Amino acid sequence: MIVCAALVVPPDSDVYVPQELAGRMVGLDYGNGTAYAGLQMLEGAVRRDEVTTCAAVIHPGERYAAMMRGAFEATVLQEPWITVAEKAGCRLVSTTFFHGTWVATRDVSPDAYAALLRAITRAVHRINADKRRYVSYFKRDWAGHPEVDALSVDDFNLGRIQVKEPGPIPESEARWAWEWMASWGLIAGAFDVTAQIDRSLERDAHELAAAVRAG
Amino acid sequence: MMTMTIEPVSAFSSLDVLVAMDEGLFAAEGLDLWMAAREARDIRSTTEGTLTSPVTNQGRLQERGDATMFQG
Repeated sequence: MIVCAALVVPPDSDVYVPQELAGRMVGLDYGNGTAYAGLQMLEGAVRRDEVTTCAAVIHPGERYAAMMRGAFEATVLQEPWITVAEKAGCRLVSTTFFHGTWVATRDVSPDAYAALLRAITRAVHRINADKRRYVSYFKRDWAGHPEVDALSVDDFNLGRIQVKEPGPIPESEARWAWEWMASWGLIAGAFDVTAQIDRSLERDAHELAAAVRAG
Repeated sequence: MMTMTIEPVSAFSSLDVLVAMDEGLFAAEGLDLWMAAREARDIRSTTEGTLTSPVTNQGRLQERGDATMFQG
């Protein structure tokens, strides 16, 4: 799955481009992919010493509400809260996409992992064949929240819903992510692909999944 | 039938997993996939953390052996 994250500002904000977030407080759900996506969007627009962030709650609806009441000047959101924010007149000053990456224990067998990959691949094909049919999942996660309940399928930008067949993690991407996180002091030490990725299990599972699909 | 338990996922990051569960695609592949539930003790607020020392709930169920996969 490809995750979409957006840097969002309230309707009355004077921020129109991400460069204008230099020195402005941005609420991030530290420790989560969306927060790191937010940092990367900020870093792409302003000097690192101008990136100004604070800890915000992980609940995107509450994070959005905090931004709207002025707790911070911008935040990073994911669907369906991006759509909620847009519908309320907020502006997306930057959007980005990142891979949702699975972490497994050594107890996972190649056969089980291959079955998981095959099932997800079939789901990806179904979703890509008819994204509108599956938009309801984004609402289902947040049922009972009036802003989400009020969304219709037509409110969603289907281009922000991206799924792709799962594949092995390219070493270059893993290395980049590690070194980027290390540069922010989030992790320490040099990148060691053998310590991070069990290539044997990964290869066996993907080959098994492909062989069964082909057969 | 093989079994696997994963940590809870949401549509924004795992629509494909949720669709596969609901439409019986894991079962069709011989995999009985379960989604573990977080307990109150598993949930800490991200506001307790800092940028360089974040608090995350991801991986907690895996750490204590209640799940074998989570999405990071």
